[in-house]
Amino acid sequence: MNPSALSRQNELNCSTSGSGCIVDCGTSNLCVSELSVFYRDHSAVRDVSLNIPTNEITAIVGPSGCGKSSFLHSLNRLTDLIPGCRVTGSIRLCDGTEITHPQADILSLRRRVGIVFQRPNPFPQSIRRNFEIPLKEHGWHNRDIPDRMEAVLRDVGLWDEVSDRLHKSAIALSGGQQQRLCIARALALDPEVILFDEPCSALDPIASGVVEDLIHSLKGKVTVAIVTHNLAQARRIADHAAVFWVRDNAGALVESGPAARVFSDPLDPDAALYLSGARG
Amino acid sequence: MTSSKNTSLSRSIDRVAQGILGLLALVSGALVVLIVCFLFKGAWPAIEAGRLESFFADPKWQPGSVRDPQFGVVSMLVGSTLVTLLAVALALPVGVAGAVFHRFYAPPALERWNRRILELLIGVPAVVFGFWGLSVVVPAIVRFVPESSGQSLLAGGIVLGLMILPIITLTSQAALQAVPPAQLQAAAGLGLGRARTIWSIALPAAKGGIGTGVLLSLARAVGETMAVVLVCGNIPQIPTSLFDPIRPVTSTIALEMGYATASHKALLFCAGLILVLFTAALVGWLSFRRPAIDSGTGGA
Ligand SMILES: Nc1ncnc2c1ncn2[C@@H]1O[C@H](COP(=O)(O)OP(=O)(O)OP(=O)(O)O)[C@@H](O)[C@H]1O
Ligand SMILES: [Mg+2]
Repeated sequence: MNPSALSRQNELNCSTSGSGCIVDCGTSNLCVSELSVFYRDHSAVRDVSLNIPTNEITAIVGPSGCGKSSFLHSLNRLTDLIPGCRVTGSIRLCDGTEITHPQADILSLRRRVGIVFQRPNPFPQSIRRNFEIPLKEHGWHNRDIPDRMEAVLRDVGLWDEVSDRLHKSAIALSGGQQQRLCIARALALDPEVILFDEPCSALDPIASGVVEDLIHSLKGKVTVAIVTHNLAQARRIADHAAVFWVRDNAGALVESGPAARVFSDPLDPDAALYLSGARG
Repeated sequence: MTSSKNTSLSRSIDRVAQGILGLLALVSGALVVLIVCFLFKGAWPAIEAGRLESFFADPKWQPGSVRDPQFGVVSMLVGSTLVTLLAVALALPVGVAGAVFHRFYAPPALERWNRRILELLIGVPAVVFGFWGLSVVVPAIVRFVPESSGQSLLAGGIVLGLMILPIITLTSQAALQAVPPAQLQAAAGLGLGRARTIWSIALPAAKGGIGTGVLLSLARAVGETMAVVLVCGNIPQIPTSLFDPIRPVTSTIALEMGYATASHKALLFCAGLILVLFTAALVGWLSFRRPAIDSGTGGA
């Protein structure tokens, strides 16, 4: 366990207190307060307040359907893509940018807050195009793209495996390679935060281990929020943990804090049963 | 007990259904073969008499001339090809742009209405298109280029283009609709704008389906008769400009079959056979390139 993370005591102290709570954003890259996500009338996430500390790894766990993905996707406005989906509350980046603001510049916001999904989703085009398309969109010059691509492919340990086939289709890669490609593609845009939505659950154990190590290696460089069903994985890599649970028909945050404390000594009874493997 | 009886019953029903379906499939296949045989039979006298050579070598088409009968069909094949390509060249950008608009920009209600109108447009009889071309397109061309007669390659291209527009738009729309949501989600997650998402992600993913639409409309346009008879001018010549009249193969068959006799008639059958072979080649190409689309390997 990282002692500095413990000392920061990024305990959330207002998840139950309703309105009027002021979240201290001191060390946090993402400051979420009273976030709710609705699908038409159904509320999937209700009143979640959570700090996601800078350059550390925050694991989000909880049973299926408790709103983890909805929460994660609202953090970079991917919920905008779903017709009928509505988000209320506040998500602030460390410089004060309000993500939920209707006039927010969504495209540059998504550059700053990247995401990696459960199923690897490289574009069915060449490996090189997978980097060119997003980099060009965000204003990179053609001449800088090859170096950038090589740098991030090295970061994810994929360079030696693909350097001689950059012109070949990305979907010819193995699942694990594709997922690392997607992580590299997200990293290429130099984001401040990367959201991972069950990044290993479509992979075999070995590829999953490689991707897990890769995510672990991002600690200290970029802020990570990862949803995972693999509690052992969360224990291994997370500095902070947040447990979601369904309360009154909506996903709610029932427990959060330093990972060591949450996993060893959870306060919430449901969270305790879930984390001990007895429920969920 | 009963369950084993049931399975044996359902098995025999299945076998009967298989037989009936197989038979029906065979009938439609056999009909195509019969039509080709019929064409061959009609064309045979010309082939036997060695007329095929003059078919491609004669400079002119004047089968009725007593003094100097000529049977050159090349100018008409060129006319058919040009008017078809022109129609696709006009309809493709409009159709794809319309499909993109309705998939990515228009509200869903508008998209539904648009689809209905396009489906209606497919059902409009060709003669109505021809009539529209004759009374609207042809005069418009004359206004812009007074020395032309208006009935021309361009008029044919415009009318045919409008006829295949719904095919191209609907297939493009379906192809864009079929772009995996995961791809669009990936694009959104990377902060791609709408324009780049369309241009770099959706269209490359849909290009196989759009290509299929183009091939279908090529086959449709090559075989179109009624509309082109009315607007193309029907002079069998190789055009030197968009405003020259042409006479596609189909027009020739339609115009002359009624009074053609003996060898003339056999040559018209030959022309029909060539059209069928051309369409068959298109369809063959279509089915051969299908696997490449399914595997989803987009271009680099
Ligand atoms: N597009 C959608 N439209 C309507 N309801 C949705 C949609 N996506 C999710 N929901 C609902 O919102 C709730 C939370 O779903 P969500 O996907 O966020 O859960 P999750 O915690 O990520 O689950 P899992 O672990 O299975 O991925 C569920 O009740 C689900 O039915
Ligand atoms: Mg989920």
